[in-house]
Amino acid sequence: MSSSPTLANGLSKTTIAAESPTHLILQMALRDVSVLFRTPWIIITRALSFIIQLFVFAFLISGLIHIPGLNFFEYYAVGSVVATIASISFVIGYDIFEEAEEGVLDYLLTLPIPRRQFIIGRALGGAMRAIIYTIPMFVIVAFVWGFNQPLSILTALLSLFLLAFGVTGMSITVAVSVKSANRFDVVLALLELAVSRGSTALYPIAFMPFYVSLFAPFSPVSFAADTARSSLVGFTLDLPAIAGLVAFVVIFLGLGAAFYFRRLEGGIYG
Amino acid sequence: MFANFAIDLFVTAATFGRLVTGQGADYFLFIAPGSNLITAMVAAFQSGRDVWREKYIKDLTSYLLTLPVQRPVLAFSRVLGGVVRSVIATFPGTLVICYLYGILFTPKIFVAYLIVGLFSLGIVGLSMAISAFSSSIEMWVTVRSAIQLYLSFLSALFYPVSVFPSFLAPIVSSNPMTWAIQAFRQLSPIAFAQVPAGDSLGSILILAGPSLAFALLGTICYIWYSKL
Repeated sequence: MSSSPTLANGLSKTTIAAESPTHLILQMALRDVSVLFRTPWIIITRALSFIIQLFVFAFLISGLIHIPGLNFFEYYAVGSVVATIASISFVIGYDIFEEAEEGVLDYLLTLPIPRRQFIIGRALGGAMRAIIYTIPMFVIVAFVWGFNQPLSILTALLSLFLLAFGVTGMSITVAVSVKSANRFDVVLALLELAVSRGSTALYPIAFMPFYVSLFAPFSPVSFAADTARSSLVGFTLDLPAIAGLVAFVVIFLGLGAAFYFRRLEGGIYG
Repeated sequence: MFANFAIDLFVTAATFGRLVTGQGADYFLFIAPGSNLITAMVAAFQSGRDVWREKYIKDLTSYLLTLPVQRPVLAFSRVLGGVVRSVIATFPGTLVICYLYGILFTPKIFVAYLIVGLFSLGIVGLSMAISAFSSSIEMWVTVRSAIQLYLSFLSALFYPVSVFPSFLAPIVSSNPMTWAIQAFRQLSPIAFAQVPAGDSLGSILILAGPSLAFALLGTICYIWYSKL
C-alpha cells in the first residue's frame, strides 16, 4: 500500500492495480489537493482578497448601514467564507480544462485507474482542497465573532463541504461541455458571479430587488450560507436548506460525472 | 461582459442601494458607475492576458514581430487596441449609467466615454507591463488580482474617501479608480455627499496622469519583452 500523497508517486508502484477503489479515489483527490497547494500565489491572493473584503470593505460599509437588528459586519463575515469556498471550488473546472488543452489529461488517462474512480476522485479532490483552503478563514471568523459551539461549527463545516462538492460537480460539468477557451472562461465566471451574488451569502434577502429575491433562495450558496448562519448564530438546524444542498450535490455531481465520463470515453478522448 | 455588468449593477449595487442609508443621495446611483468601471478594468486586463498567451501558449510573438510595423508603433497599437476593446465591451454599460444619470441625450455622454477610455488606457498599459514580467500564468493572475483588489476596495468606488482611516487616505487618493468614479459622479446632476461639485474636468486631468504613465510603461515593457 503506497503512502505517498500524490497520484504520480502512488501510481509509480506496480501494485497500484490491486489497490482498493477507495484508496484510488483518495489518491486522485490528494493529487488535486497538492496541485492547488503547488501554486501558493493563488492561495495568497485569495486569502488577501478575503482579508481585504472582510476587514476593509465589510468594516467600512457596515458603518454606512443602519438597519436595526442587522449586524452587517457579522452577516458578511459568515457569508464571505461561504462565497469564498464556492469561488475556490470553481477552480477545479479551470484545472480540468487546462489539462485537456495542455495534454496532461492524455497522461492521466494512461494511468492504471478506472474511469469511475478517476472522476469521483477529481470531484472529491476539488471539494477537499476548497475546504482545506477555507478553514483558516473560517477560524478567523469564528475567533473574531466568538463562534465556539463544536456542534454548530461542525454543522457549518458540513454545509461548506456539501457546497464545495456540488460546485465542483457544476464546474466539471461546464469544463467538459464547453470547448472554446474564451467561452469557457466567460460561462464559468458568469456562473460563479450569478450563484454568489444572487444568494443570501452577502446580503439579506429582504433587501434584494424583487427579481433577485425570487431566485436567491434557490442558489446553492444561499443554502450553505443559511445553514451556516442558523447553526453558528442561531444554534439551529435549517433542514430545508440542508435538503436543498444535498439535492444540489446529487444533481451536479451526477451531471459532472456523466459529462466527464462521456467526454473521456465518447468524446475527443474516445 | 454585459452580463457581468448587469449582475454587478442590478443585483449587487441594487441590493446595497437598499441597505445603505445616509449618503445624501441614492446609494445605488452613487456606486452604479463602479459596475461599469469594474467591467472596463476586467476587459482591459484581458488585453494583457492575451499578450501573455501570445508568447507562452500560442507562440505568436515571433510572427507579430515579422509584420512590417516598427516596434514602438506595434507596442502602442497594442495598448490602443486594448483601450478600444475595453470601450466596446463597456459600451452598453456606459449607456445604462448615462441613462441612470440623466445625461444620455446630452454632450456629457462623450465625456463619460472619455473617462472609460482614459481609465482603460492606464489598466491596459499596466496589464501589458505585468505580462512582460510574468513567466507563469499563476504569477500573472496573482499580480492582476492584487491590482484589482487595490482598485476595487481601496478606492472611492463603494464609499467616500472620508470613511477611510487617515493612514489609508493617501493610498485611496492616489488610486486611478477614485478619480475615474469621481469624474463620473460629477457628470450627474445629482448632488452626492462628499463629491465635490462642479464639472469633472479636474478629476479627468488627475486621472490622465497615471493613465498616460501606465500606458507608456506598458508600451516600453512590450518593446523590451518582445526583444527577449
